[in-house]
Amino acid sequence: MFRAVASRAVPRAARPVTQSTFCAPSIYFQGRLRRGYASEAEEKDLVIIGGGVAGYVAAIKAGQSGLKVACIEKRGALGGTCLNVGCIPSKSLLNNSHLYHQILHDTKNRGIEVGDVKLNLGAMMKAKETSVSGLTKGIEFLFKKNNVEYIKGAGAFQDEHTVAVNLVEGGETTVRGKNILIATGSEATPFPGLTIDEKKVITSTGAIALEEVPKKLTVIGGGIIGLEMASVWSRLGSEVTVVEYLGQIGGPGMDKDVAKQAQKLLQKQGLKFKLNTKVVSGDADGEGVKVTVEAAKGGKEETLDADVCLVAIGRRPYTNGLGLENIGLEVDERGRLIIDQEYRTKIPHIRAIGDVTFGPMLAHKAEEESVAVVEYITKGYGHVNYGAIPSVMYTHPEVAWVGQNEQELAAANVKYNVGQFPFSANSRAKTNLDTEGFVKMLSDAETDRILGIHIIGPNAGEMIAEGVLALEYGASSEDVARTSHAHPTLSEAFKEAAMATYDKAVHY
Amino acid sequence: MNATKILQQGRQPMIRFLGKRTTPSKVDHTPHVHPASPSQSLPESFASYRQKAQQHGPLNQNSKFSTSHIGASPGSSLGPVEAGKGTFFDRSELPQRFQRMAWTEAEIEAIESGGASLHA
Repeated sequence: MFRAVASRAVPRAARPVTQSTFCAPSIYFQGRLRRGYASEAEEKDLVIIGGGVAGYVAAIKAGQSGLKVACIEKRGALGGTCLNVGCIPSKSLLNNSHLYHQILHDTKNRGIEVGDVKLNLGAMMKAKETSVSGLTKGIEFLFKKNNVEYIKGAGAFQDEHTVAVNLVEGGETTVRGKNILIATGSEATPFPGLTIDEKKVITSTGAIALEEVPKKLTVIGGGIIGLEMASVWSRLGSEVTVVEYLGQIGGPGMDKDVAKQAQKLLQKQGLKFKLNTKVVSGDADGEGVKVTVEAAKGGKEETLDADVCLVAIGRRPYTNGLGLENIGLEVDERGRLIIDQEYRTKIPHIRAIGDVTFGPMLAHKAEEESVAVVEYITKGYGHVNYGAIPSVMYTHPEVAWVGQNEQELAAANVKYNVGQFPFSANSRAKTNLDTEGFVKMLSDAETDRILGIHIIGPNAGEMIAEGVLALEYGASSEDVARTSHAHPTLSEAFKEAAMATYDKAVHY
Repeated sequence: MNATKILQQGRQPMIRFLGKRTTPSKVDHTPHVHPASPSQSLPESFASYRQKAQQHGPLNQNSKFSTSHIGASPGSSLGPVEAGKGTFFDRSELPQRFQRMAWTEAEIEAIESGGASLHA
């Protein structure tokens, strides 16, 4: 159509943006390979890659907001790690193993005499599976209810608006979206030198599906996942040793007083701890698993023999096979997708939420982000307060916290008041014969605004909700202390800790 | 009762009802660092992508083309569309998306057979 008659040296065009390209050159090349056919599927308002907590909640929320939405999930079941192999199945095992342990060891003083108590691990696992399948099917129902198209397959970016899906049941399809949300979650970080087989060397996925109780279990990593799984198998009869590189259990977010108390109580339940200890190497070639450890600062090596070794050293973002290279999306040094305050990647219509990006890898954090990201798309405004996201460890007693801990405040040179109240002085805990633990509250020395709440004790995971609300509203400890709490409840300990923070507790 | 009065005068609860939640009238949509980002900085690519893409939409809020509503500035402000004097466009020099695509054998076959080859 146009022919160049002038010299090639003449500028190619007079428009001021001749060099501008809407997307990377590689994308154009890809686009050129794809010819548009009339039969091509309609463009969705939102395509979500990943049907875990982040993805499925966003899908439902988007459906409710009237968007045309498709959710791609390759597992064959919705709910992601949390529902299928994480939070939910582990809570089933934690609850039932706790009951079993309590019936074995804590009935006589309650006036209950029991006969022979036997563990049926198969039935316990079946109970877990029933809970999981009920919940995952519930999400499928919610998808239908909210007009979410559920595509079973593995999605990969073909270009900036197109996701190619390798269908689980064979075949391929593509789906185009005005907006695309990456919610592919995370996977367990493997330990170098130990190959995960989910039988002998296991991650949390294998730890919820062991076919028999191992005589000896070594847990690498004394964080929340490691301690929950250690608790389950210890209660069911394993001899468990937890190896932790840091000087405290529970990870860096846990308050040091709480971590100390948790360690003491878990030790009383039979768990063994090796803190300030690093794992040098592992060997799973023989019958069991040999793990060689030494003091973190260097020292004599020691070998731990076990039937099974649980690797629980953390999780890493999962972006394998997503085709990020096709659209030039960047990840940081830990593999997290880089996003801005509205969850946008550098390509503004492609957003990322949940474990695959910044922030703590927690299901409820992902859920908050799901709602916010859909609101950013539909209303241009969303809300997540990263300063008020609770953490819970579902051991017995439970540990829960929100906000800053004492060591963080001290490091930031913040002047603060501390109030603490033990469950041993709480009437309901006394009647339950479950009095271990305490509530600890930290508030600003000048304004009395609550800065952090740390609970170790029965039902801490439920009780922390009040703390999160207080933090979200910017409450003072006096605000909480002057709020009526029903008697006799465990939550009175929460109120009394608040009283102890700004004044004095009554019952202690 | 007097004691309560004194108490209430002395204490202002920090929790107060602020009214129904509303979306702020002004929201800054320019990319900023995510609050949970450990590096506290956005890579250069965020700005450069918007720089490249601004001709297609109001992505770059600071650009002169998108300071207000769509259509606020005339298209002529973008500069002439016509080639300058002595300058000509050649289709092959346009970005690839404006160039002709090569037909594949399968596509030619499909057209010639009226689509039958797709089902063969």
